[in-house]
Amino acid sequence: MFYRESGDFKTSYIQDQQIFPILQDRMFVAVVAAFAFLVVPFLINDYWEKSVLLPVLIWSLAAIGLNILTGYCGQVSLGTGGFMAVGAYASYKFTTAFPELNLFIVVLLSGGVTAMVGILFGLPSLRIKGFYLAVATLASQFFLVWLFNKVPWFYNYSASGQINAPERLIAGIAVTGPNAPPWATYLFCLTFVVVFALIAKNLTRGRFGRSWMAIRDMDIAAEIIGVAPLKAKLSAFSISSFYIGIAGALFFLVYLGAVEPTEAFGIDKSFLVLFMIIIGGLGSILGSFIGAAFMFLMPVLIKNILVNGLGWSPDIVAHLILMIVGGLIMFFLIVEPHGLAQLWRVAKEKLRLWPFPH
Amino acid sequence: MQDTVREDEILLEVRNVSLSFGGVKALEDISFDIRKGEVRAIIGPNGAGKSSMLNVINGFYHPQEGEIWFDGKLRHRMKPHQVAKLGIARTFQNIALFKGMSTLDNLMTGRYTRMHANLFAQMAWVGPAQREEIEHRQKVEEIIDFLKIQSIRKTPVGKLPYGMQKRVELGRALAAESKLLLLDEPMAGMNLEEKEDMCRFVLDVNEQFGTTIALIEHDMGVVMDISNRVVVLDYGKKLADGSPDEVRSNEEVIDAYLGVSHD
Ligand SMILES: Nc1ncnc2c1ncn2[C@@H]1O[C@H](COP(=O)(O)OP(=O)(O)OP(=O)(O)O)[C@@H](O)[C@H]1O
Ligand SMILES: [Mg+2]
Repeated sequence: MFYRESGDFKTSYIQDQQIFPILQDRMFVAVVAAFAFLVVPFLINDYWEKSVLLPVLIWSLAAIGLNILTGYCGQVSLGTGGFMAVGAYASYKFTTAFPELNLFIVVLLSGGVTAMVGILFGLPSLRIKGFYLAVATLASQFFLVWLFNKVPWFYNYSASGQINAPERLIAGIAVTGPNAPPWATYLFCLTFVVVFALIAKNLTRGRFGRSWMAIRDMDIAAEIIGVAPLKAKLSAFSISSFYIGIAGALFFLVYLGAVEPTEAFGIDKSFLVLFMIIIGGLGSILGSFIGAAFMFLMPVLIKNILVNGLGWSPDIVAHLILMIVGGLIMFFLIVEPHGLAQLWRVAKEKLRLWPFPH
Repeated sequence: MQDTVREDEILLEVRNVSLSFGGVKALEDISFDIRKGEVRAIIGPNGAGKSSMLNVINGFYHPQEGEIWFDGKLRHRMKPHQVAKLGIARTFQNIALFKGMSTLDNLMTGRYTRMHANLFAQMAWVGPAQREEIEHRQKVEEIIDFLKIQSIRKTPVGKLPYGMQKRVELGRALAAESKLLLLDEPMAGMNLEEKEDMCRFVLDVNEQFGTTIALIEHDMGVVMDISNRVVVLDYGKKLADGSPDEVRSNEEVIDAYLGVSHD
């Protein structure tokens, strides 16, 4: 009854185009943002940082990236892990070659490098679609991981073949390395996620987003309306890869600290992010967040309850989790391609009319 | 049907166009022209090559022989999105809307070639991108009012009934504000009332906006009512070309087409 649009008429197109057209939503988002930036840094500890907040933030960014490509532009990709690796190795090379370089810039540059690699591997999309494109991107996944294992220049000829994030400071405070305080790594990631989620929203609600969705929904009609498929697809590939590259850089620099490519950026990561956007909602920025949080936290939660709480065997629980994820994927693909984000919208739709449904 | 057709001014001319797919000759040595401001009908039995002709005009098919002149200039081989920039828009025989997008977004996509905010402006939204968005939204709202589709503005078009989808597709083509509008069977599959509405819209577009229209239509009644001139195709060949009355009384046309038509 209190959550609704009525009495809140849109008198201009500016108002109609807002990201959150409903006043209550805007207030809610403002409160969440204030809490995330102003309160959480004071409460955060190691456990919350490493087990919940950083991974959810970073996976959200990767999910937004893949959603731009797959959810908005309709180009299926199984190369997410490989592109994250590009971001991670680019950030490693930048920060070891230029130790003085500001970490924000390092991460942005890594995104830029990944964007260019993304364009390269996006070229086949101009010729092939659907299943065949998915296979091509799968090949890029394996090729990239192989490359980072094989060419010592990428890991600065270290004996272990691993890369390690050196300590880097921003304004005198460590953001990478073992001495980085949780609140600093958290704020660093949060800043990237908030800024780039906003940018993604802006891109997807404007001319770029429409050109991507047009290609996704009906490429022939997109062309006759003036959308060049080359431009639309490659811009989606590059921007998507930029996001995934940033996520990879943060994943390595701030979250893991040390990386072995097969382990950290394997094909399972490509699938993980794909599942995130399917469950969260294809073609939805909010869905990327919901999907990332869900796919990352659901297993943790179930493990905590069943293994630690009820004393089940970890093996059985691991299999159970796989089955739950598999079932959910099938459910969402068949019943609700727009994912949890859509279920949330429907719930809000109902709430808007409550308590008088007619 | 507009009275202000400029007889002397030709918007598009097709010269000796031949198109074949393997052994199938879809178009054989076709020539005709479209004058500025007119409603030009293309008729013919199934498989006559009508849709292929439109596909040639908007760059989907590249004819093996022949020339296309647009706005007084010889047009070189072009991709469809380049043709769109020249000012040619179209609708399809089978609806080709962006099903996952709202009516509004479909129409806004129609403005694509007219929008220019760069990547960074769009990332920031506030500023040039937003100004541009609002400017084009106003134009799109005019078209929404014109087609009387205010109530489905925010509906995903996949959920609309068939007749409405056809209307939205017309809207998307109108949003491009093209010089030439190609309509491939805009009234196919519609009931009488919907057909009448669509006829009205086509005529209004022609009269109010001065848009030149080429349309394919099977319903002879409709064709005779709304077109200035008619070109008749049959098995890839041009049978006749002229005013509706001339075409209707042409012996060959009667034999080849009207004789076998369903009405
Ligand atoms: N892409 C294509 N590949 C092969 N043959 C084609 C192709 N497009 C059209 N044709 C053939 O060209 C001929 C003309 O087809 P076209 O679609 O232009 O006919 P039409 O006049 O639009 O018919 P309809 O009234 O059924 O829409 C047909 O024989 C068709 O099979
Ligand atoms: Mg046809």
